Amino acid sequence: MTSHLSKALWAAGLGAALAVAAALPARAQTAEIALGAIVPSSGPFAEWGRANTVTLQLLEKQVNDGGGINGAKLHIVILDDATKPAQATNNLRKLSGDDHVLAVAGPLTSSAAEVTFPVANEMKTVATSQASSKPGVAKLNRPWAFRNTIDEGVLGRTAVPYFKKTFNIKTVAIIFDAKDATAAVVGGRIMPALMKENEIEVVNTDPLSFNTGDLDVSAQVTKMKALNPDGVVVSADYSQAVTVLREMKRQGMIKPVVGSTQLISSAILKAAPEIPVIAPATFYATMKGDKPEKFVAELQPLLRKTAGLPPEIEPSMYDANIYEIASIYIAAIKASGATGKPEDLDADRTRIRDYMAKLEGFPGLGGPIGFNDDGDAIKAFYVLQGQNGAWDSKVRGCSAAPGHPGC
Amino acid sequence: MLAQQLVNGLTLGAVYTLIALSFSLVMGILGVLNLAITELFMLGGYFGFTVIMAHLPLPLALVAGMAGAAIVAIVIEKLGYQPFRTAPVVTPMLSTLGFSIILQNVVTNLWGSDPLQLADEVLTQRYTLGGVSVSAMQLTVMGATIVLVAALAFVVQRTSMGRALRAVAENRDVARLLGVSASRVTLIAFMLSGALAGAAGVLIGLHYAAITPYIGVEIGLKAIAVMVIGGTTRIWGALIAGPLIGVLEVMTVAYGGSQVRDFVVYGFMILILLLRPQGLLGGSRSDQGQRV
Amino acid sequence: MMSTYYAGLLADVGILLLGALSVYIILATGQLSLGNAGFMGIGAYMTSYLTVIAGVPVTLALVVAAVASGAIGVVVGFPALRLKGIYLAMATLGFGEMVRSFFLNLGAMGGSEGFHGMHHISLGYIWTWAAAILLLIVILERSRVWLDMRAVRDDETAAGLVGLNATTIKVGAFGFGAAVAAISGGLFAHHHVYIEPGNFSFERSIDFVLAVILGGSTVGPGALVGAALLVMLPEYLRFLAEWRFAAFGALLVAMLLVRRQGLLDRAMFRVFALRRAA
Repeated sequence: MTSHLSKALWAAGLGAALAVAAALPARAQTAEIALGAIVPSSGPFAEWGRANTVTLQLLEKQVNDGGGINGAKLHIVILDDATKPAQATNNLRKLSGDDHVLAVAGPLTSSAAEVTFPVANEMKTVATSQASSKPGVAKLNRPWAFRNTIDEGVLGRTAVPYFKKTFNIKTVAIIFDAKDATAAVVGGRIMPALMKENEIEVVNTDPLSFNTGDLDVSAQVTKMKALNPDGVVVSADYSQAVTVLREMKRQGMIKPVVGSTQLISSAILKAAPEIPVIAPATFYATMKGDKPEKFVAELQPLLRKTAGLPPEIEPSMYDANIYEIASIYIAAIKASGATGKPEDLDADRTRIRDYMAKLEGFPGLGGPIGFNDDGDAIKAFYVLQGQNGAWDSKVRGCSAAPGHPGC
Repeated sequence: MLAQQLVNGLTLGAVYTLIALSFSLVMGILGVLNLAITELFMLGGYFGFTVIMAHLPLPLALVAGMAGAAIVAIVIEKLGYQPFRTAPVVTPMLSTLGFSIILQNVVTNLWGSDPLQLADEVLTQRYTLGGVSVSAMQLTVMGATIVLVAALAFVVQRTSMGRALRAVAENRDVARLLGVSASRVTLIAFMLSGALAGAAGVLIGLHYAAITPYIGVEIGLKAIAVMVIGGTTRIWGALIAGPLIGVLEVMTVAYGGSQVRDFVVYGFMILILLLRPQGLLGGSRSDQGQRV
Repeated sequence: MMSTYYAGLLADVGILLLGALSVYIILATGQLSLGNAGFMGIGAYMTSYLTVIAGVPVTLALVVAAVASGAIGVVVGFPALRLKGIYLAMATLGFGEMVRSFFLNLGAMGGSEGFHGMHHISLGYIWTWAAAILLLIVILERSRVWLDMRAVRDDETAAGLVGLNATTIKVGAFGFGAAVAAISGGLFAHHHVYIEPGNFSFERSIDFVLAVILGGSTVGPGALVGAALLVMLPEYLRFLAEWRFAAFGALLVAMLLVRRQGLLDRAMFRVFALRRAA
């Protein structure tokens, strides 16, 4: 082959490649709207991340089967943060900067949210956490950070009085997971304050705590048992709370337990069925109502078929939350006429942010949703009592803030 | 309450003793910190649970846990230790770390990251002696620990295999010159330590009746501390140091504050390392570890 | 224009590089430290206190924290002299855990709730520090100081016989390493603008050691290669979804099997030197 011919072939090949490259984004531009999600699909919360993934895939299919958004196809890019906060921040950067998503659902944990929300503000992309409930996390990161959860202090204000009334509680002992930021805040600050408000005496004068991952809490439970409170506050993620409840049962301490949303799960019902557990939730799998029942009916079989998830799995509060978050984004995109075109990206993202800040009465799975000035959700919640293997809804509350309409 | 806390401490101590022994078997003989032992412990627990949930008897669960963990230990020995025999000690340590990462991932994918719980606990009869309540499972754990430690001590002190183990521990090259098959000995050491960790996993898992793929992590670090305090080359040292640390921990929680618990335990370990590096029961000054 | 995703990853590499170097410095004298996350934590909390509460500019805060951490490193270095090999490693492990437990209980700096308020630093700033310290170490490696350190590592008794003060060298290495780890911590704190005790756990210390061993434990730039590997590999393994970590563990074992001195070693640099001369 002569050098002229080879050069010509090179030029032709390059030209063809450039033409294809130029054509491709043009096609993608009008055809796709991208949303992002950050979930922990590996690590200690792998199950939540994988269940969240199935939930989002369900929503994506539902939307696309229904014709997409404004004529464009929905694509949800889901990234795993491996339960490492540093990975969550890089995930947001990738989703926002490289994948050009209009908004991000996630991250899940408060530790990840604390470092990812500042990045959301830096990248001017809305990020909404589906599970973070450590007080103040979104508040510190306005205006681009939101959380589809309710501050534990607000939830406790309804859960604790119910707890006191139902079991005639005059004294409690508080035990919490000192290594978990949310659990430590709830157990160390919020619950003691709530007890004081409700005139319940906290019998342990020094804090009773354990560390995430501890297998043995016998010393702490023995100490609690000796103090003989009427009830126990267990502030910990349910996988750790299981350890405490089982130890309580083992030592014969059958007292009612109250805690934060971190307790909500099916695992905790199996730990000690005789011990009544009171915890607030915005959603639970056996909830009554058109929307939640339809959601569970569609999602549950998909979850149970997924490899790596236990066969008896049920849709959790976090699945419901992330479904709502993505649905809100989609509504925002429809309402604001966002097109997903790269040149409108910044404007589209700002429109979503403003839509969410003003959101009121959005039809969520458990009731209407809005957001308050702190970025936390205004939605209905339920105080659940878990006993003998099932959750029972006892009280309905609303996290409405002054100046915003209620539920 | 004090007596009850003592029982709590002794149970916790039994946990530490078994895992510390697993560490020290490989540490004392080969000078290697096998970071995969914590996951062998966790794996033993999962194997044991699987057997119990199939309504098979406890001894079978124990055998399953020990055998399963021992087999995985052999794989780790072949891939993670043998090739690094002549390398500085940090290399096999890191390769066992690689294995522990793999094991955690595999278990998470097979059994899920949520706690695996036993519907009905095993051996739940409780005995009350003068205000102190202890369960049959707890007694089994403590009893089994003593039996396993004694059995191990017997193997190491009285059998020819044990002599071979001690010979390699003292001086690998001379032992080989004297006809000891060093590679066979290290294989046995790994297997024994794996079986011990697996047994610990079954017993302890069944006692607490709820396990996750991450139960090994926190307990592993403390068990290393126990190994150091008891003396890395002393089997009976682990039997004494385990309950000692277990009781220390429990008393700190009961009377001090649960917050400073870790501080106290690791502080004590450092103190022992500085004042008596050979451990409480250690003989000669064995702080001259191999070059890292 | 670099994508902010890669910028974020590079920032992580720079921070990990400094942590890895802190282990490398101490390792050069034959001491394995499994607790450098503790020094990183001290640096992170101290710099954050200085910039947020005392209003000190970040560069000065980093220097102060490094000096203070270095002093603590020297204090740790003295008792460390009595221990060798894996026993020293375990003692440093204990030290790291104690530091973490300390910060977990330090209510003034947030305890388990973490600490906020730091302002953001740029990627360029992080790499100015990282590159400067890497350069410093590369220069030192060619100097008499490093030769002395290697002599102490290879045979302490012999080193003493030729007049080297093993004590000064070993303790000094601890101090230097602690100072570098503190800078890593301070940069970490101002990059993520939020810190909590869980950031400075045994897992972090192990990451530092991994970076050094994988990248090359006998040359300074090995830490750079190792840090890049540890940050980038999990990203490239994303396609493996839920087997990402298992693949990482397997790769770790494989890399050690294939090349146990790490990716870079002195022989490689000699090759480059020869080529330049030719």
